Amino acid sequence: MSNISKNNRNLLYPGLLWFAIFFALPLLVIIIYSFTDNYIFSGSGLHFTMNNFFAIFKKQHYLLILGRSLKISFITTVFSIIFSYPVAYFLAKKTRFDRLLIVFLMIPFWINYLIRIFAWKLLLSENGILNQLLLFAGIFDEPFKILYSQTAVILGLIYTYTPMMVLPLYATILKIDSSLNEAARDLGASRIGAFFDITFRLSLTGIFAGTLLVFIPALGSFAIPAILGGTDSMMIGNMVENQFLHVGNWNFGSAFTIALAALSIALILFYSRIFGLESIYRDRGI
Amino acid sequence: MKNKKPVFLTVYTALFFIYIFAPLIIIFIFAWNGGEGYNFPLQGTTWKWFLELFNDRMAIKAIKNSLVIAVVSATVSAILGTALTLAVIKGVRKFKTALLTLLMLPVLMPSLTIGISALVFFRTISFPLGIPAVILSHVSISLSYVLLSMMGRIEGINLEIQEACIDLGASWFASLKDIIFPILLPAILAGWLFSFMISWNEFIVTYFLIGTDVTLPIYIFSQLRFGISPKVNVISVLITIFTILAIVILVALRRIYLKIRAKII
Repeated sequence: MSNISKNNRNLLYPGLLWFAIFFALPLLVIIIYSFTDNYIFSGSGLHFTMNNFFAIFKKQHYLLILGRSLKISFITTVFSIIFSYPVAYFLAKKTRFDRLLIVFLMIPFWINYLIRIFAWKLLLSENGILNQLLLFAGIFDEPFKILYSQTAVILGLIYTYTPMMVLPLYATILKIDSSLNEAARDLGASRIGAFFDITFRLSLTGIFAGTLLVFIPALGSFAIPAILGGTDSMMIGNMVENQFLHVGNWNFGSAFTIALAALSIALILFYSRIFGLESIYRDRGI
Repeated sequence: MKNKKPVFLTVYTALFFIYIFAPLIIIFIFAWNGGEGYNFPLQGTTWKWFLELFNDRMAIKAIKNSLVIAVVSATVSAILGTALTLAVIKGVRKFKTALLTLLMLPVLMPSLTIGISALVFFRTISFPLGIPAVILSHVSISLSYVLLSMMGRIEGINLEIQEACIDLGASWFASLKDIIFPILLPAILAGWLFSFMISWNEFIVTYFLIGTDVTLPIYIFSQLRFGISPKVNVISVLITIFTILAIVILVALRRIYLKIRAKII
């Protein structure tokens, strides 16, 4: 018995080794870069410094980009929750075709998001399809100009990441026992009151899981602002790309990348804290 | 209240699906539109964009490179990932949660961080950028997705069969090959398809590691930046059809698997 499980455990190593060399080690390398001010093989030894991180806070330009990225990702997340909640609720509680519809929902998700963003560009541009329709119908007199702005970036991000919110929300709402809601109603709660006190509260774990899946990729996005955004919508991703591919300051670029990773990891830890609290909540039988 | 039809929710969900599919519909229309630009009214149907795509060397090369990267990464990640998942779920007892959290990082971390760190790593050790670098990095990401998709299936299998098999005189390797592998085959194929799709669609990590070469997402990105040819629509139509086929195959595999399992039990 113990021999079998020992052999089975040895299956771990090839995959783990690959993971360690091509995922963990590179992370370690940029962490080293972010705390030093020269190249690793420059021959003059490593000088540890915090200056790369201080530099982020010294220039207003960088703080602006950081703040803007947080703002754009936050708005994206809020709207993706609002947009997807009714859909997730419908799929979980009001239809028998939920599994088929979920498969349907996943089809565009598997198609490269660049292509879908390109289609939005066609829809939103000044002589684009939406404008042509609106002008033709006489709703607007002048075409709206939305492309190459923060709004366009946010619209693109919401579109791309909202399906990521639907899935965990659907999964959590599906597990909520409908009789809890009925009990609340029998005890005199209004429909809206019962919804917020029971269903909404119990679906918070789904909202948090969805938030991770939307906020983190939105924060690190770089293609969408590059395609839909203008000069006022540069995000962390564009800034980091610029540092590595054009400016060539690896140490500062690494510090910025690590800051992004740290923000994401903080969010994940925060989530697991709340998730922990939530499970205590559930153990009490509520 | 129970029998009342949720009119609002139904309409809302329908609108949501239209919203999700709207870009695809637009792309389909303009893949066959005769006109040069993107204007209404439409100007008759044409196949000329399809012909133009097939005559575009760069696009064909991009599709070929993407296929090579996706097939190789999916195959390596399916093999290593299956072994890894089996070991983590059924073999490891100490530090299991810590290990799982660590292995989930590629799913949760921004691709930008992964791409940048891989770029810096390969440049630091003077490993040339290009398709091999992309594959090495894609596998390290896909492993997590294979783990994620196979965890449930592997938790469900009972290793007593393996023990019984070994008690009856089979070697450990034979028990793996003849018992565990057939049981897991559908899950392995699903994991393969999953990591294929991830590699095939992956843009950010590829963008940093591809060097001067080209893959399909990179090609599309460059097209988006410098003028948009309806050829891109044709690629999208082909990918959509391909994706739907893949989903149909996946669903069929699941059906067959469930049938076989029902027969055994």
